[in-house]
Amino acid sequence: MSERLSWITLVAAAAIVPLLTSNTYYLYVVISAGLLTIVTAGLNVLVGFTGQTSLGHAGLYAFGAYTAALCATRAGLSEWAAVATAIVVTSVVGAAVAAAALRVSGPYLAMVTIAFGLIVEGVLIEWGSVTGGPGGIFNIPKPSLRVHYWTVMLAAALALWLTANLRRSAWGRACLAVKSSEVAAESLGLSAYYVRIAAFTVSAAFTGAAGALFTFLNGYISPDSFTLQTSILFLLALLFGGLGRIAGPVAGSVALTILPELLTKLLDYRLILYGSLLLLSIYWLPEGVVGALSRGRKARVAPRPTTAPRPPAAPRPPAAPHPALSPEGRGVLLRARGVSLSFGGIVALADVALTVEHRSIHAVIGPNGAGKTSLLNVLSGFYAPDAGAIALNGRSIAGLTPYAIARRGIARTFQTAQVFGGLSVLDNVAVGVAGPRLGTVWAALAGTSACRARESAIRSRAQALLQAMGLGEVADDAAEALAAGLRRKLEIARALATLPVLLMLDEPAAGLSPAEIAALDLQLTALREQGGPAVILVEHHMDLVMAVSDRITVLDYGRTIADGAPEEVRRDPAVIEAYLGAAT
Amino acid sequence: MYGLVALGYHITWATSRTMNFSQGHAVMLGAVVAYAVFVALGWPFPLALFVTLVALACFGALVERVAVRPFFLRASPAWLLATIAVGIIAENVAQLAFGKDARAFPSPLMRKPIMVGSAGFYPQELLVPLVGLILMGLVQLFYHRTAYGKQLKAVAWNPEAAGLMGINIPRAVMASYALSALLAGVAGVLLAPLLNVAPQMGTIIGLKAFAVAIIGGLTSAPGIIVAGLGYGLVESFTAGYVSTRAREIVGFGLVILVLIVRPWGLLGEKPSRRV
Repeated sequence: MSERLSWITLVAAAAIVPLLTSNTYYLYVVISAGLLTIVTAGLNVLVGFTGQTSLGHAGLYAFGAYTAALCATRAGLSEWAAVATAIVVTSVVGAAVAAAALRVSGPYLAMVTIAFGLIVEGVLIEWGSVTGGPGGIFNIPKPSLRVHYWTVMLAAALALWLTANLRRSAWGRACLAVKSSEVAAESLGLSAYYVRIAAFTVSAAFTGAAGALFTFLNGYISPDSFTLQTSILFLLALLFGGLGRIAGPVAGSVALTILPELLTKLLDYRLILYGSLLLLSIYWLPEGVVGALSRGRKARVAPRPTTAPRPPAAPRPPAAPHPALSPEGRGVLLRARGVSLSFGGIVALADVALTVEHRSIHAVIGPNGAGKTSLLNVLSGFYAPDAGAIALNGRSIAGLTPYAIARRGIARTFQTAQVFGGLSVLDNVAVGVAGPRLGTVWAALAGTSACRARESAIRSRAQALLQAMGLGEVADDAAEALAAGLRRKLEIARALATLPVLLMLDEPAAGLSPAEIAALDLQLTALREQGGPAVILVEHHMDLVMAVSDRITVLDYGRTIADGAPEEVRRDPAVIEAYLGAAT
Repeated sequence: MYGLVALGYHITWATSRTMNFSQGHAVMLGAVVAYAVFVALGWPFPLALFVTLVALACFGALVERVAVRPFFLRASPAWLLATIAVGIIAENVAQLAFGKDARAFPSPLMRKPIMVGSAGFYPQELLVPLVGLILMGLVQLFYHRTAYGKQLKAVAWNPEAAGLMGINIPRAVMASYALSALLAGVAGVLLAPLLNVAPQMGTIIGLKAFAVAIIGGLTSAPGIIVAGLGYGLVESFTAGYVSTRAREIVGFGLVILVLIVRPWGLLGEKPSRRV
């Protein structure tokens, strides 16, 4: 409610400025803040949502500006056509840069983007015949400042609206999922690489638009406006305003446009100011000004009641899998032969074989370090096996990427539960429901009606799954705030949401109370009764394993030492020796 | 020379998986402090060198304390941006104290060029790679032969286990930052006569050194040394045959190429994925 109020105030303020003053200086300052807002709104998609840092956006800004300038001066296009062309060109350049740069991440990505920015700056200066060299391009036909004021304000509002749409869509969730846990996101069929490229391209499009509008503000441009400092300023404005917050770009942009104007006398201290602000916002405002404000308000108005301990939810069977993916009849679902894997000189898996039947629960047990988790990682594509054949429904999956394997119907959980922080419990499951089916990112930005319809379908399915898993009451809680037992449940719900044919659980009972383990037992058997996915269960809890498994494979030192029905395995001398030591 | 600065990235990366993005500014500080003590105050050179190195080690420790330690365990952009922030503050402070103009740094090795055929070069230009190689050798000895060097390596390998063995991890990381800034300081002193001293000199040197570190492989000291020499050669060739500006374009283009083909660098270890 009060958030809506702040937005209305902001719009009103923007509308009043040109009425109150005819001083072009003020208009100019507000336009600059508007341009910075557009850039940072785009950057927010990349840095705030997707968690990748770029220090080369000044290069993209330059692409937008110079494209527009060339369109207007050489091709004689109108302002609108020039801006549109600039957006298209910058998006294409952004996608190309992203495809190359996003093969790396973190500090490497920062470096590649810095290098990109410097190359662009260098080319602007060197390629004088097109860019005008160090002097830049002059005499660009420009609209009156007042008209331009409205154009930029509308564009800034549009930029914020688009990012808000994106944040609420399957794309927004996918970005946050990739940021929070790349591994878990890939296990749900999302390609982290693809999601990041899309985010980078969106941010490039926004930056290109702002660059083009910048051209029509001054009527001239020169390489001085597109240095590394500019890229740092973009990032600083976003961090200061609030990373990942929709309103963050506005707050940061306004602050960082007005502050230096107020302190023109301190021009010599500008870098100190920027540096300190940067440190300050990283130290004390990890969520920016906007985050700090809304946190303060929440604490004042609505202290959230501490959730009373609930009685353990009665285990209800999960929703049945989608018929399209539900396998017909019985038979072999997964067949692995001769799977070997070693790290340096350490052999993790040696010639392991595993055959999993449709709709069965197949346990993989063994002492610590036996290679159980390594086997799951090979089956789900996180490790490429050194040798061996793996086939799902008769089709080889060995050596495929994790997301490709996930798309073929293998879902998994992790030894340390990997829930997506920054997303609600419901949204976590919604990531699984949507899987790789995200639609185009442009539709998500525009929030088309088809997109919204799909969105409500996704949410209701996610809600149903949560109910079935007994997580209905915590659907709106932050996922990272869940207790360990609930996290594991959430992870299972999320994996089931992808409608897998094979579900791999890595120590689902670790850290669970006896009551919770009993519930898990019921859930697993219910899954089988209903014709759900086959399950590979890696577990140390022998009671659970013996109670639910149809078949057990025992690993020790990376080798299969036994394979058979629970009763056979229990009596197998090799197994007894592995667990209890030689009985000689 | 780039190799020397780049080695600084390697040292901190190896101990803490973080880097000082103000490494270039450390080079600049080395040059500026040396100028202040040696030229402005007129102290004898050995003393001036000593003061410079102490100052730089302190700068490195400060960067670690202010910009890295608080974010050691947080998401990546935090320490990255924090070290950049310290760097631009350092640049501005140097600018206020020193003025914006570049100043010449006198050196006895810059008086008479040695002529080889028609091309001439100064003895100082020979001194830079020579000292660079000696220092790299010393760093390698330190890591492989001394107990403290081995401790730092242990921290890099497995911080948890190293901590349990009684190694003070924050202090080890701080030491690696001090050492890395110290190397940058040496580079600054060596370069001062060649480049002229200016507060703005840091950014581009830091970036080129980072480029070298990436090309050679952040995890590989020999790779960085080789890449440093190679990068220097490529630069002077492009500067000689194309233009000075093209030098940077080609250099950074090379980095992007390496990152696409071998993201872990020419001689670096391929990182294994942890699940």
